[in-house]
Amino acid sequence: MAILEEPIKEIIQLKNYIGGKWVESKGEVIDVVNPATCKVIAKVPISTTDELNAAVETAKKAFPEWRRTPPLARARCLFRLKELMEERFEELSRIQTMEHGKTIDESRGETRRGIESVEVATGIPSLMMGYNLEDIATGIDEYVIRQPLGVFGIIGPFNFPFMVPLWFAPYAVASGNCIIIKPSSEDPISQVKIAELAEEAGFPDGIWNVVNGGRTVVSGMLAHPDIEGICFVGSTPVARDVIYRRCGETGKRVIAQAGAKNFLLVMPDADLDRTIAACMTSFYGNTGQRCLSGANLIVVGEGLNENQYNAFYKKVVDAFVDAASKIRVGYGLDESVQIGPLRDKSKKERVLEYVEKGVEEGARLSLDGRNIKLVGDWPQTCFLNPTVFEDVTPDMTIGREEIFGPVASIFKARSLDEAIEIIHSNPFGNAASIFTLSGKWAREFQYRVQCGNIGINIGINAPMAFFPFSGMKDSFFGVLHGQGQEAIRFFTESKVVIQRWF
Amino acid sequence: MAETNVKEATASTIISFAEKLEDNSSRFYRKMAERYPEDREIFLAFAKESEKNKVLVIRTYQETITDAIEAGFSFKGLNLSDYSIKIDLSEEASYLDALKAALELEKKAKKFYVDMAEQSSSLLATIPRAFRKVAEIRDKRMLKLKSLIDRSE
Repeated sequence: MAILEEPIKEIIQLKNYIGGKWVESKGEVIDVVNPATCKVIAKVPISTTDELNAAVETAKKAFPEWRRTPPLARARCLFRLKELMEERFEELSRIQTMEHGKTIDESRGETRRGIESVEVATGIPSLMMGYNLEDIATGIDEYVIRQPLGVFGIIGPFNFPFMVPLWFAPYAVASGNCIIIKPSSEDPISQVKIAELAEEAGFPDGIWNVVNGGRTVVSGMLAHPDIEGICFVGSTPVARDVIYRRCGETGKRVIAQAGAKNFLLVMPDADLDRTIAACMTSFYGNTGQRCLSGANLIVVGEGLNENQYNAFYKKVVDAFVDAASKIRVGYGLDESVQIGPLRDKSKKERVLEYVEKGVEEGARLSLDGRNIKLVGDWPQTCFLNPTVFEDVTPDMTIGREEIFGPVASIFKARSLDEAIEIIHSNPFGNAASIFTLSGKWAREFQYRVQCGNIGINIGINAPMAFFPFSGMKDSFFGVLHGQGQEAIRFFTESKVVIQRWF
Repeated sequence: MAETNVKEATASTIISFAEKLEDNSSRFYRKMAERYPEDREIFLAFAKESEKNKVLVIRTYQETITDAIEAGFSFKGLNLSDYSIKIDLSEEASYLDALKAALELEKKAKKFYVDMAEQSSSLLATIPRAFRKVAEIRDKRMLKLKSLIDRSE
């Protein structure tokens, strides 16, 4: 199968976008590498604290006029941004594949999800409305108005370089705030491209800023007194011990979405054919590098005797392993490919350590993704094929910790109760799914499971833009979530007015 | 429970195939329009229709695809060469031969869209709906082509 044309032909020298100007950084410059080809596709600066401070200053200056801009006028900037994104849909998608490694279908899916957030935020005249009540006492009325707060920092992860900052950015600017986005330095091109479109869409200078970089920029955001809040998506240790803690210390609002270890249950009555297809997407889509990825599959024997359970278990596992073994791995711009490489070599090495740990701890390696088979002639540096472990227990490292790679761990549970106990023994609470045709089991699962995003016959429980992206336990730190109405509440203060006229 | 068939094609592969199918169909009918002026308007209309079909399919896919659907694993047990169409018309081909070739093209194209609509039923509704719509258009063309063949025989 031919490779789709690459939109990046030469190495791009990325700049910061501050106050409506493209500014070269004085910081060190690092390579952005296409993980499939191992070729350098861009150079990204690691910006300094002074550069971040300049962005905050310009955003703060832009805020008063922007908040006075009528919501409909702000929405029109977003409508234009959406149209530009639609026009450049294919280019934006292919860039994601080049900078991250995901397949072209996955990149287009990510582009669509990002655009949907922009679309939803264009409804700001309705979304931002307050509420009121007449005659709370004789001749006295009371109402709530929502007001923007100022400048927000958005720290993007590497696994969804286009979409994740858009869970926050459109809502923030629609409600009258200014933003500074720090993309992942591993794959920053998408956010720079979006900023180019924001510029073209006519956002006034200083509203939409991008400061490339690493820890220095993050620390600067957390310490800066003029940043009102932080939106972060990344690992649990950083979300909890750095972002959430520092925001608490400095009184900032915070949305910190963190790691995950998601369980998928297969009940005896599941539609196996469709369940397996959903599992392949869930466990191996985005090469397992998503916080909604399936990680642990529990084959549940509710209502079955031992012989029936053994037969059912074998049927599920055989189908799972068979499907996983046939997944085509390669460069995501090859349309026939079903999963791409890991984002970089260090991430692959980390996954390999987990695979070795799984073997050491006694799990059975039913499919070894270390035997690399690729579609096309690509360096194996960042690639792994799907791996499946059986006989995994909750105490094993591979069953407990987030691997963030194409590795599935299969558990046994004789009942739904036992399966839910296994889920609850894990510290994470991002997503969990059940595959069943039984409404009773599904309802029980949805009611009891302590995870923020529940799926019923769904492999990837990704909330649409008009719903919050939830999360519980060690998977989320904060109160309000990204996307939809909750994002609007996060980016605004509720002011109460009680009014009487003499 | 059904056997799991894992010989999948990605959604992107299928959409690209549809895109080429419509491009080739359009090219074929433009050639027909040039060569057989007596029914020029009919063939030009078919060509334009194919261009619209292509826009419809791509737009529907781009508006439907999300990271949460099984786009990489949705189309199973396929051999896309079964749906390949021939668009070469030899210089010696009579008008009747050309019409019969067009009918064959439409049969294959219709089968492609009908099969893909069935296969994509697990995706969001708009994709199979778009495929079914194009299949219906192809079906109508077949009726028209059959009437032209009857007239020419």
